[in-house]
Amino acid sequence: MDCKKVGDSIYLFFDNELDQALLTPFRHHVDGCGDCAKRVDYTRRLLLLVRASVRCSAPDRLRLRILTNMPHRGGIERSV
Amino acid sequence: MAKEAADHQQGWDFEAAAMPFVDALYNTAYRMTRSPEDAEDLVQETYLKAYRYYDKFEEGTNFKAWLFKIMKNTFINNYRKRQQSPAFSDFADIEESFESQLNEASPRQNKNPEEELLENVLDQDVQLALDRLPPDYRMVVILADLEGFSYKEIADILEVPVGTVMSRLYRGRRLLEAAMLEFARDHGYLREGVEPVKMRSRKAAVVSD
Repeated sequence: MDCKKVGDSIYLFFDNELDQALLTPFRHHVDGCGDCAKRVDYTRRLLLLVRASVRCSAPDRLRLRILTNMPHRGGIERSV
Repeated sequence: MAKEAADHQQGWDFEAAAMPFVDALYNTAYRMTRSPEDAEDLVQETYLKAYRYYDKFEEGTNFKAWLFKIMKNTFINNYRKRQQSPAFSDFADIEESFESQLNEASPRQNKNPEEELLENVLDQDVQLALDRLPPDYRMVVILADLEGFSYKEIADILEVPVGTVMSRLYRGRRLLEAAMLEFARDHGYLREGVEPVKMRSRKAAVVSD
């Protein structure tokens, strides 16, 4: 695998969508290529950053509202 | 009576299966509607619909993806129409701006764009950058990067081909990166007290064109 192919495969790699047969060639190239190793490391940190930064929990009142409206619990709110 | 009892049991089954996904659905709903009130209404409606169609859910298929698909359809029907057109609508323009951001020499000679981004970007910037993505791109990025769905699952949720998922994800991530870099640079300038002369002049030039 060359640098171009590694570049094209980085997202697939992190998304666990890279063809099984290409995993070893991908890792092999990255282990031996400083530029690609940097690119892979940067992409990893970027994806982790996005995942960690954009995360909010549902408010408790929403959980309560959903449960209260469940028909088997005698829910009343109608779907629009 | 027997049917009522069975329906009742199915209700409890649904509740047990569906309630663990409130946070995931709300997170996505909030990022798509950009309003806490709308997000709560969207998730509530998703649960009411899912409850009603629960007997249509195919056992053994992905329940979380099924809930997201119901929410996507509800979002498109109820919210999408009244959303304003996104700040970024023409991808070609953005791509160009992104390339120029990356190629533009930083006032700090020793920094490359990647280092600048990772060092200076704030959590809030990531959210703002995501909010600025066109809805089609934003949705794919959320489903892949926040919820960890596979390409195939995203294709099923959005009812588009896998190839479309891949190209939207690629473009969405590039746009996100470009917007994050822009915010990060602004913070970098502020922190170091460097006047962003180059950026200002470039923006001014674009406006006057």
